[in-house]
Amino acid sequence: MTADIFLAGAGQTAFGEHWDRGLRELMDEAVDRAIAASPCTALDIDFVIVANMLAEFANAQAHLGAMAASLLPHRPPAIRVEAACASGAVALHTACALLESGRCETVLVIGVEKMTDADPGVIATGLMGAADTERDVPVGMTFPGIFGMIALRYMHEYGLSREDLSLVSACHHDNAMENPFAQFHRRITREAVSGSTMVADPLRLLDCSPISDGAAACILSTKHRSPTRIAASQIATDTLSITERDCLTSFPATREAARRAWKEAGIRPEDISHIETHDCFSIAAVINLEDLGFAAPGKGIGLYKMANPPVTVNGSGGLKACGHPVAATGVKQICDTAKQLAASGNRYGLAHNFGGIAATSCIHILDHGNS
Amino acid sequence: MAIPDTAPIVYRTHRRLQHKMQAGTILSLTTIVHPPTGFGVKPRSVGLIRLDDGSRICGQLILPDPHADSRALIGCRVQPCLRLHRVNEQGLRIYDVAYDVLSGVRDADAPFPGYILALTGPSGVGKTTISEALTRIASQYAERVPIVTTRVPAASDNEEYVHVTDGEFHAMETAGKLAAITQIASTAEDRRYGYRSADIERIWQERKIPVVVTEMHLLQGLAARYGRRAILSCGLLPPGRSRRMMLSCLLHRLRTRGRDSAESIADRMKNAEGDLALLHSRGELFDHMIVNDDLDTVVSTLQGHMMELQKI
Repeated sequence: MTADIFLAGAGQTAFGEHWDRGLRELMDEAVDRAIAASPCTALDIDFVIVANMLAEFANAQAHLGAMAASLLPHRPPAIRVEAACASGAVALHTACALLESGRCETVLVIGVEKMTDADPGVIATGLMGAADTERDVPVGMTFPGIFGMIALRYMHEYGLSREDLSLVSACHHDNAMENPFAQFHRRITREAVSGSTMVADPLRLLDCSPISDGAAACILSTKHRSPTRIAASQIATDTLSITERDCLTSFPATREAARRAWKEAGIRPEDISHIETHDCFSIAAVINLEDLGFAAPGKGIGLYKMANPPVTVNGSGGLKACGHPVAATGVKQICDTAKQLAASGNRYGLAHNFGGIAATSCIHILDHGNS
Repeated sequence: MAIPDTAPIVYRTHRRLQHKMQAGTILSLTTIVHPPTGFGVKPRSVGLIRLDDGSRICGQLILPDPHADSRALIGCRVQPCLRLHRVNEQGLRIYDVAYDVLSGVRDADAPFPGYILALTGPSGVGKTTISEALTRIASQYAERVPIVTTRVPAASDNEEYVHVTDGEFHAMETAGKLAAITQIASTAEDRRYGYRSADIERIWQERKIPVVVTEMHLLQGLAARYGRRAILSCGLLPPGRSRRMMLSCLLHRLRTRGRDSAESIADRMKNAEGDLALLHSRGELFDHMIVNDDLDTVVSTLQGHMMELQKI
């Protein structure tokens, strides 16, 4: 990073079904909370970046940048960014670029998604836009289908058992019990995961993150200091289609983003205490831990089996238990990582957000050692 | 709203049908219990398939047994077939390629990319002459693969050799660009020979059979690279009822072709003795043993063997 960028404030709505609130109300609540948590006033915000994937599709609403800016009294400049499920982290990365360049001093980043307005079939079709519409969609593919193929291949190559894979969702649900913003506050057993309805062989219902509404907001600033600094912000990309990948059991964009992030932050995986990773499907969490450098290939599940793992993985509950309002997730991961660092007093946390089949993979490292 | 299937999208998908009509191997698969809108209500099996041209696609799978353990189907071969895929909202009947899963037929049993004709025999038996004559007569379906060598170029060399330095040869070898290599010791220098996989694969792409001249190491290298079954392996023997007669025939030929010094002939004769012994002891490496007593007969015999391959 060429500038010291601080997380001045962060806030989120509860994730879940919000039939009584639209995109505007969701954003409004998250922004209010973020401003309240920061030393800034609304007028300190120079620029607004909104992350959203499906508003045109699910809510017949475009032009979210101006909509978000209209929530602030001085109507600052605003843009909207989209990178499927990685939209949130891409918005943060864009904010870092604006701050590093010196064009802005304080940027408000909002991630928002309102998915329950539309029929689930419509949402499933919309989400397939994160893959390749002409290569993957015509065969009748769905995202659970793509990750089902990835999971089966992973099981084939590394011998991961169905029972072990069920640990992932069970563990994330346990973690969410403490998180007031999580969509689900219910413990689930491994057996319940293994015995849930089949969605796309071998993935079952409780392997999949849910459809959710929600918003999260962060205020990043070079002017308003806080204990939490952004130590690294990196994006890497890959092909949209699964048909263009050489390997199904690892995501090269995550490896590349991680390599750059370690270099930028000047730290190693051992220095990290908390990870929020993108567990859109249980198998993704396992692969991510390997690609991020916390486990050897084929050994990702080991972190879930340890009594005292060296890092907490998805202490918030992850996408599975918190809910996954697509573009809000990347921003919400920063809120949660900062909260965990503040609570534990540890120095470094990592947020990993990806889009599609990790066709866009983003890593942010937070450094909570600046008080 | 169902999947995006306006006429232009259907048209673009349709243009790829020809390419999809290939057999392939399952890399992974899944059964989607609730397919997306427009794909019916029955569970739908789809797979990531590596087609035989090396490209990958997602395709619908037709499983022989819907309750089979899907993990066991990874690596199985599939056969393409045209199927009514779905009827879109406008009532357009959309056909697409689906893949029949040949359970039990694993990738290892799959047809290989092509055949290679390998001619093996002692020095002087006529390997080069035969391969020249064969590829001249049957130029539409056979082509010689150039030999990469570190040997010092000789005046009698023709286009069959590509001369490289030791360093270049080593670089190609470490980059995995050589399908097979060998080192032939001689008193003058250590000569290294090899075949580039790019040459072999280019000839296959032209729908021809690559013709290679080999000794034991090259033959085994090619067999390791492309599978023994991909190689039509012919052992060439000099005429003669005994080994002594065969060797004297070779000596006579080496002397009359006038390409080698007395020293080199002595080296070659030493190697030839070993080669002849191997032709007898390693019979499993050869599909046919051919005695080279008449060039035309040998060439037409080989042509016959190649014609059989073309039919497959």
